[in-house]
Amino acid sequence: MTIYIDVLFWMRQKRWFLIAIAYGLFMHFGVSPPADLNPAAFDALIIISMALILIITEPLPLPAIAMFMLFMQVVLGIDTANNVASSFMNDAVFFIMGSLMLAVAIVSQGLDKRLALGIITLTGHKTWRIVAGFTAISAILASFIGEHTVAAMMMPVGLTLVRYANKDPKKVAGLTAALLFSIAYGATIGSIGTPSGGGRNVIMMNYWAEFGAGSVTYLEWIKYVYPMVLFQIPFTVIILLWTFKPEQSNLDSAVRKLVIDVARAGKIKGREWLAIFLFFLVFLGWVFLSEDFGLGIIALLGVFLYLAFGLVEWQELNRKTNWGVILLFGAAISIGIQMNKTGAAEWIAQVIIVNLGKVINDPAILQGSVSVLLTGFMSNILSSSATVAVVGPIVLDLGGDKILIGYATAIASAFGYFTAVAAPACTIIYSSGLVKSKDFLRAGWKMGILSLVSLLGLSLLWWPLL
Amino acid sequence: MTKKKLLVDPKSLKFLTAVSSIEYSKPTLKMGALIASVFDASHGVVYVGERASGFHGSSVNMTRQNLDNWNIIHPGLEVLEWALEEIKKMSPENQDLAKIKFNPDHVHEEDGRVRVILPNDKGSRIELILREGELVDQLRREIQLEDYNLAIIGGSQNKRHLAHSIIQYIPCSIFVLQKFNPRKHYKLLLLVDDSAATRKSVEYGALIAKKLGWPVRTLTVSKTKRFGEGYQGAADLTKAYFQSKDIEVEQFFLTGDPVRTFVEFAGDNHFIIMGASTLNPVKQLLFGSKPIKTLEQTDVPILIVR
Repeated sequence: MTIYIDVLFWMRQKRWFLIAIAYGLFMHFGVSPPADLNPAAFDALIIISMALILIITEPLPLPAIAMFMLFMQVVLGIDTANNVASSFMNDAVFFIMGSLMLAVAIVSQGLDKRLALGIITLTGHKTWRIVAGFTAISAILASFIGEHTVAAMMMPVGLTLVRYANKDPKKVAGLTAALLFSIAYGATIGSIGTPSGGGRNVIMMNYWAEFGAGSVTYLEWIKYVYPMVLFQIPFTVIILLWTFKPEQSNLDSAVRKLVIDVARAGKIKGREWLAIFLFFLVFLGWVFLSEDFGLGIIALLGVFLYLAFGLVEWQELNRKTNWGVILLFGAAISIGIQMNKTGAAEWIAQVIIVNLGKVINDPAILQGSVSVLLTGFMSNILSSSATVAVVGPIVLDLGGDKILIGYATAIASAFGYFTAVAAPACTIIYSSGLVKSKDFLRAGWKMGILSLVSLLGLSLLWWPLL
Repeated sequence: MTKKKLLVDPKSLKFLTAVSSIEYSKPTLKMGALIASVFDASHGVVYVGERASGFHGSSVNMTRQNLDNWNIIHPGLEVLEWALEEIKKMSPENQDLAKIKFNPDHVHEEDGRVRVILPNDKGSRIELILREGELVDQLRREIQLEDYNLAIIGGSQNKRHLAHSIIQYIPCSIFVLQKFNPRKHYKLLLLVDDSAATRKSVEYGALIAKKLGWPVRTLTVSKTKRFGEGYQGAADLTKAYFQSKDIEVEQFFLTGDPVRTFVEFAGDNHFIIMGASTLNPVKQLLFGSKPIKTLEQTDVPILIVR
């Protein structure tokens, strides 16, 4: 009887895996491809839809899903093993690998205490100013070093202030939510600002190259997108203070205690200066050399420098880097490339254009709204980078200016305000146990509207000027 | 029944209480600690938290390690620290327990869980465990790893969804403390039939009734007006067993749909004890079982003995 229970339990735990397999078998053996879609493209779509089921429900570890996407391309005869292997590794995957390792290296320097002191010096003791400072600093830092790095460094600062404001965080629930969301939403709105703000931006740059749309430099990206980051910061502060209403208007005592805590770390050390300097070099490399060397190679060079100067141990990098995510993005980009090569992405784009074209006459509005709404919706159930990896090939085939559609898609992938799963910064604050899922909805819909309006303004008013 | 070897050996029992938060888990923890002391069982307390998605798991872990540097501990460890203090408060006379000090830095990661190392815990028989993931899966892993005899869990908001999984997949006896009020005077309601699990549930019932001094009622329900030899025999043996332990017992024999009768009879002031189903697991999955349906339909605490 135990064996039956074990089998039933396994089936319960892996039900989505079994559903995905059943779906895949049915589609491959039971359904004929549409007349205008070649069998390889049809199989690529089957693999990607199975992978989506698996990624959203996670019945298997992410690396297993990555391997599934890779071997299925060869098993179904979409491409040869060597071609699949070469599409798996590219500069975008290098960048994701490098930025994840850089995050570990930076966070391990203990620079968060310096950051705390810097913010408090800038903002003073008033709650609204601290919320504004958290939002602005998180946004600006995240645009260069990635939102997960910023959230990991800012969370202790936020939680320490909350703890000093009241021993029971539930008695200052509004303040807690305002501070934590200023970190999460600040980092999220900032992550679109530069290519290095998030892996998804680099994935889009990679697709531009793959789809023959040309290339965009680091500074060009900033020119097109950064105004939206700056525009959103003050409105995000207003939304957070309006939604969560902090119980205390002044955090005098909490700030004083935090400053005493931070002061114990002493003066900034040579090692910390070196860590900052090395990151500055990486940043300069991204700005001036990425067109020749690629963002990923420069990120790896940065990791090399941190290791060479002994600022971080390989064992620590190895332990804390999410290798599963790297494998998954490599595999997702690989299948994305197959969607382009086989014509699957173009076919889906045509289906969307033909069907929605009956409702929306203007092609530009159709392209923009599909790319933004589809990406925005999917980024709330998937991770933002996975969304761009999957949706990117389709939206780039919708027609119109591939670069502008790509910007809109990369920006919309940061609209994951509604759930704790979409953005790493949101997951990080949720893991504190001090904010609830409904808090994401309470503030998220306002942030969603803000971002949609900002993107609309950016595309209608700013981009035509460039 | 009295002459047979006891199925419940109080010397080797291990109970596990699942807690979720300081706010909501106090009644569950108190009852878990009380039941563990009643049975002189070793007592594990497990906190099962949500696990971050595979995409962001390492970022969350990196943040938590950074938070450690600021002396901000994992929310689950905070709950376990609170649980230890509550257990200490319940047994002020227990010197072994009083010596234990909680240190969030003294944790050991093993077998997919985090175990809090408790110095000076010799004799206290307390385990504090932190796990992350889906509740039923993590409880099952913990119970299989440590071979617990009884899992004590609070009533859940989505009870109907979880009832089936908890009863079918948790591999030990299960005590679901739904709407449990520590100040309320409960009567033990022992459901007696001819199933193999009845004997063990009678032993559990007798131990609880004896230690807590709660009145005991037994209920035997037949679908027809005739009570077969099996049912009658089980009821007689149950009565004899309680009498041998000097516990008074009121016996009831009713006819009707068993689950509906259990639920109506239990009302809101009974504490149900019943045996686990011996039905084939596939049939249980497809059609349910008496314990599953009873748990789904009643709001009183229920102990399902396996």
